[in-house]
Amino acid sequence: MKTTLAVALVILIALWYLSFLATRLDRLHHRVETSWANLDGLLQRRAAIALEIAYSDFADPASSLLLTSAAYQAREARVQDRSAAEMALSGALGLLIVDGAIHANEGEASLLNELSALMAKISIAIAIHTDAVSSTQMVRKKFAIRLFRLAGTAPLPVTYAFEFDAI
Amino acid sequence: MLKEKLAIGIVCPYGWDTPGGVQNHVRDLAEFLISAGHRVSVLAPAIDEFQLPPYVVNAGKPISIPYNGAVARVLFGPIAFARVRQWIQNGEFDILHLHEPAIPSISLLACWAAEGPMVGTFHAAAKHQKVIYAIGPILEPAIEKLSARIAVSEAARLTLTNHLDTDAVVITNGIYAKRYANGVRRDKWSGNTIGFIGRFEEPRKGLQVLLDALPIVARFASDVKVFVAGPGDPSEIEKSIDPELRHRFEFLGKISEAEKADFISSIGIYVAPNTGGESFGIILAEALAGGACVVASDIPAFDSLLGGGEYGALFASEDSTDLAKTIIDLFRDEPKRKALARKGKDHAQIFDWEVVAQEIFSIYEMAMVGGEKITLASDSRSWNRFLTRDGR
Repeated sequence: MKTTLAVALVILIALWYLSFLATRLDRLHHRVETSWANLDGLLQRRAAIALEIAYSDFADPASSLLLTSAAYQAREARVQDRSAAEMALSGALGLLIVDGAIHANEGEASLLNELSALMAKISIAIAIHTDAVSSTQMVRKKFAIRLFRLAGTAPLPVTYAFEFDAI
Repeated sequence: MLKEKLAIGIVCPYGWDTPGGVQNHVRDLAEFLISAGHRVSVLAPAIDEFQLPPYVVNAGKPISIPYNGAVARVLFGPIAFARVRQWIQNGEFDILHLHEPAIPSISLLACWAAEGPMVGTFHAAAKHQKVIYAIGPILEPAIEKLSARIAVSEAARLTLTNHLDTDAVVITNGIYAKRYANGVRRDKWSGNTIGFIGRFEEPRKGLQVLLDALPIVARFASDVKVFVAGPGDPSEIEKSIDPELRHRFEFLGKISEAEKADFISSIGIYVAPNTGGESFGIILAEALAGGACVVASDIPAFDSLLGGGEYGALFASEDSTDLAKTIIDLFRDEPKRKALARKGKDHAQIFDWEVVAQEIFSIYEMAMVGGEKITLASDSRSWNRFLTRDGR
């Protein structure tokens, strides 16, 4: 009788622990999703501003062309091309900001200010996202989680190359 | 972008009625957010419930425990946990902002009990502690629920990455720069004077370093005077001072905020000889905002606040000879002293609440992207969901 009770207790504790781990993992996956959604939204806004700059008089025809194509690519890129596209856009905008500091009229300066404020937000969003991803990856390495397949069918979250580029 | 009106819950882990950096930070942040039109509720331990401002909810009487080299007034236990849960349930918050969630107090309990967009701010900068590695696995499941982490200084961020293996965004403490910018210059405090503000009885505030430096300073600047402001009993320290130098010291006791602004604007040099244990150095930011020329020890927090010496002079920590040299150098070079003070005053604007609160708010926005509200975690535990689904 005593042994059955003890065994039952152990099983109960094990079950509780597994459910605890599953909740924890679920929450982490959720955090990765929200932080990515946030970052994604900011990147879309950046592409929109890039287009606006490209259509303004500020950009010369060559950089306008470069910006327009980079912004479109960043907007339409499939998941596997996303990183390269965002890096291209960062590069194109980087050139422009250096120039913009030297000659820009009032309207253009406000666009550039908006852009640099957005860039600051993006770098924070990237930090939040990479942190969420790395904690999720750490937890998913746990033995119990792999053994009982607590992650289910959720794909292992990854960081993108452009995120490290931006830091 | 402070347009959208939110319901914000802030948890302060330390006793509200005891003075401290975290409490001041929480109070200023809460008052700033309220004035911007948000609904703010602060949960904090307190001894005297009737002295609390209307936005503070009492979580119970704090317990004094030794922590990180000082006595911390914290609160935990089943009753506190129940109150935290109740506060979360009644608050209907859009976001929770937890201060020092890695300390055994109600912030940790709130982090454990709640679910949804949560932001944590880490204030402490501690040296490497082995004990953290033991409690790390306990903290981890709670800390990783935070959607975003803020550290108040680079030192606090390093403490966090070393101990808990997670990164944070650095957003400094805030000050009301305008309050200090309009101090009135008072003659009795100006001239070749040295100012010190703080609880001078605590060794880590470093008053002793300044005392040791004074004999050398007095040899070169015969009219030097030292003003020490802050709560405490000066009789012990006065006894230890060389009788010939005793008349150069004046202990002002605790001074009001208005007096503090005047004090900072009047004194020749503000000295912060702290030997360690500082994470950000709010008093330095205030001194800069008040237009004082600042001399500080080169501990990491001060070094980064003063931009490596650009906005105030640095001396080797605990080296009173170096401190004396730095002070004499500045007393002799009036233009240099003025230039440092002016640069410092301009720099201090980045610590103003207008700037800092905006940065904190943009972190809130990022945490809230999912569009959820704060709920009690147990409501959504998987087995609970399972049970309710079964019941239907």
